[in-house]
Amino acid sequence: MNSRRIFAVAYKEWREIVRDRLFLSLAFVVPVSLMLIFGYGINLDVEHIPFAVVDHDKSALSRDYLHRYIDSRYFDYQGDLTSEREIGPLLADSRIRLAFIIPPRFEENLMAGRSVAIQTLIDGTFTFRTSSSKGYVIAINAAFNSELLGNYISQRLGIPLETAREMAQPVKAELRYMYNQEVKSVWSIATVLMMFVLMITPPFLTALGVVREKENGSIYNIYASTVTRGEFLIGKLTPYVGISILNILILWLMVARLFGAPFKGDPLFFFLASVIYVICTTGIGLLVSLLVRTQVAAMMMTVVVTVVPSVLYSGLLVPIASMDPAGQFEAHLFPAMYYTDIILGSFLKGVGMEQLWGKVLALLIYSIVLWTASFLMFHKRPKS
Amino acid sequence: MNSDWYILRTRLGSWFSRLMAMTAKELIQFGRDTLLLFAIVYLFVFDTYMAGNVTMQLNKAVVTVHDADHSAASRELIYRFRQPYFKLGGEVLDNHAGQRLLDQGRALVVLDIPPDFAHDIKKGTSVDVQVQVDASNTVLGFLASSYTAQIIGQYGFDQALTSLGIDERALENVPMVRNEYRVWYNPNQKDAWFMPISELLVVITIMGIMLPAAAAVREKERGTIEQLLVSPLTPIQILLSKVIAMTLVILLGTAMSLFFVLHGVFAVPMKGSLILFFAVTTIYSFTTAGLGLYIATLSRNLAQAALLAILVLMPMIFLSGAWTPPEAMPMGLRQAMYISPLYYFIEMGYAILLKGAGLNILWDSLLGLALLGGLIFGFGVWRFRRQFK
Repeated sequence: MNSRRIFAVAYKEWREIVRDRLFLSLAFVVPVSLMLIFGYGINLDVEHIPFAVVDHDKSALSRDYLHRYIDSRYFDYQGDLTSEREIGPLLADSRIRLAFIIPPRFEENLMAGRSVAIQTLIDGTFTFRTSSSKGYVIAINAAFNSELLGNYISQRLGIPLETAREMAQPVKAELRYMYNQEVKSVWSIATVLMMFVLMITPPFLTALGVVREKENGSIYNIYASTVTRGEFLIGKLTPYVGISILNILILWLMVARLFGAPFKGDPLFFFLASVIYVICTTGIGLLVSLLVRTQVAAMMMTVVVTVVPSVLYSGLLVPIASMDPAGQFEAHLFPAMYYTDIILGSFLKGVGMEQLWGKVLALLIYSIVLWTASFLMFHKRPKS
Repeated sequence: MNSDWYILRTRLGSWFSRLMAMTAKELIQFGRDTLLLFAIVYLFVFDTYMAGNVTMQLNKAVVTVHDADHSAASRELIYRFRQPYFKLGGEVLDNHAGQRLLDQGRALVVLDIPPDFAHDIKKGTSVDVQVQVDASNTVLGFLASSYTAQIIGQYGFDQALTSLGIDERALENVPMVRNEYRVWYNPNQKDAWFMPISELLVVITIMGIMLPAAAAVREKERGTIEQLLVSPLTPIQILLSKVIAMTLVILLGTAMSLFFVLHGVFAVPMKGSLILFFAVTTIYSFTTAGLGLYIATLSRNLAQAALLAILVLMPMIFLSGAWTPPEAMPMGLRQAMYISPLYYFIEMGYAILLKGAGLNILWDSLLGLALLGGLIFGFGVWRFRRQFK
């Protein structure tokens, strides 16, 4: 290893990047815009679910019941239908996601002290939306029922309504959310987005940067030079790692300032862990670039190994804890998951080295394996 | 008259045969890149398969209990936290131990049942059960708290009925609204019917933008565009052939994923017309090709094109309802969704495959996609042609 030669390669690469103005600006614009768009755009708080109603009773009580949905911010009333037959096409066309059918004699039966069955039809295509809308419906329905029961108890036992209502609801859940008090998706998502953005941009920058030399043939200059393969790889990738480290700081600032996520952990620990992560993702790009011959293939391979796993198997949207053993195993194969835990630990939970050292170690092993494999696969005299 | 017709026909014929020759060239060039082929098969087949293994539901979330009462009543409540949603993770002796388990991520929910729980219920005064939920993952936090509230609410309701001396068989004679749910299209809420479809539509989008962009920029970067320009081909033929070739690749990949993975492995019902689905996919991939060509005009090399493609792709995917429900978008962005072609494609994709909807229901979405697609494709072609002047 000769540091002067490494510096020469790094400098050459740096000049090349700086001269490609569009590429250089995109290297910073892409991470920042991804952060902005997703930070403001992704949300998992399902609201304004469009629904329709078939009310066969049209009584004061049935309107009262339905108004609990109509007035809720979770639902968006789309109008009354005259018969059940109209529901099918509306659900199929996604104009509504939910329909309530109130039977005739709804009020009469309830007033007479009998129970009534109503029907709720739910669009089941998007499972998370289905379970959240079902949760809202159950909660609203339960609140209505305990009111009914309270009135009933008060009439039957002849006690004041207040006491009767308390009797109707003897156990209450007092919910406290840890780490994310207002269950704002933006906190947990903006922080985890750092993982996503740093998973996607460094490999793309690296893979395309290296394959470009192969495809254009300029790599023969390197083959013919005195630079060793280790010096070439380190020198070539230093500028890309540098850009990514700058991006860590920019993204960190955005998460903390713009999205207001609290940072409770140790900044130095988090910074070092992030640098290891970036070295690791850069290594992914490097390995891809050594496998392929053309830039198109490099682009598609990078999509394969980064974009998709970092969405499905990182805990960004899909919780890893819920996966079956096969899914959990696959999740452990990708580095994204470990860094997600480090981010959540450092930002929201305020835990540090003593809890997270295992995750850092996993990232470190990952980087070493990737870089060693790349070193072994890169030959200055390629087989043709 | 006759000869005019003849000339027109031969001209048209040679125009088409040139287009076909160019398309064949694109396909051959494409087929020679084995790793590219591998990446594409992987995305269409293995990726949609892997997407079928993930779930966005609560699955055996660990519930830890701090039970200060130890009565029959508290035990009954605890045992209501059952699979599939929950799993009991044992008891802790004090709140600090519960907090520690939450910190380490070894419990998702900690229940704190106060002393005198059973006594207070019997007396008819209301009792608060404290529930701590780890909300650092929003999906899990939301679902866990929603189910916990349901379980505790139902438990309270049952206790109220018992203390009134109403047993479960006499429920008919209590005024209450029994809500009967029917979930349509995916009655058992299988994620394997949802995630792979959404993944397939995302993969089509990625390919639809990146492949035409790459095919066009490559000629520029390597300088082979000069050869094409001096050939008898018109600019329209050059780019149309690329779009046709890439659309064919996408349709083939879609068919593989649809038949082998979605239908073969996950038994997605495929209620609607597959011809309609492929027709919609074709229109959609022309739309994304328009975006790809536009990206190609902006960039000089593939590295630039790839970064620009990500810049276009990611917002398109995230803001369309593939990964998060469209109902969860902030109101302003929900309007912006209507200009995203992927939004129409996703709604139509689900409607055709799961809901069995036909043209009579989907004509307006199809019209929307076709208009948007025509506009975007026209714009892409216009910008691409301008480069040659």
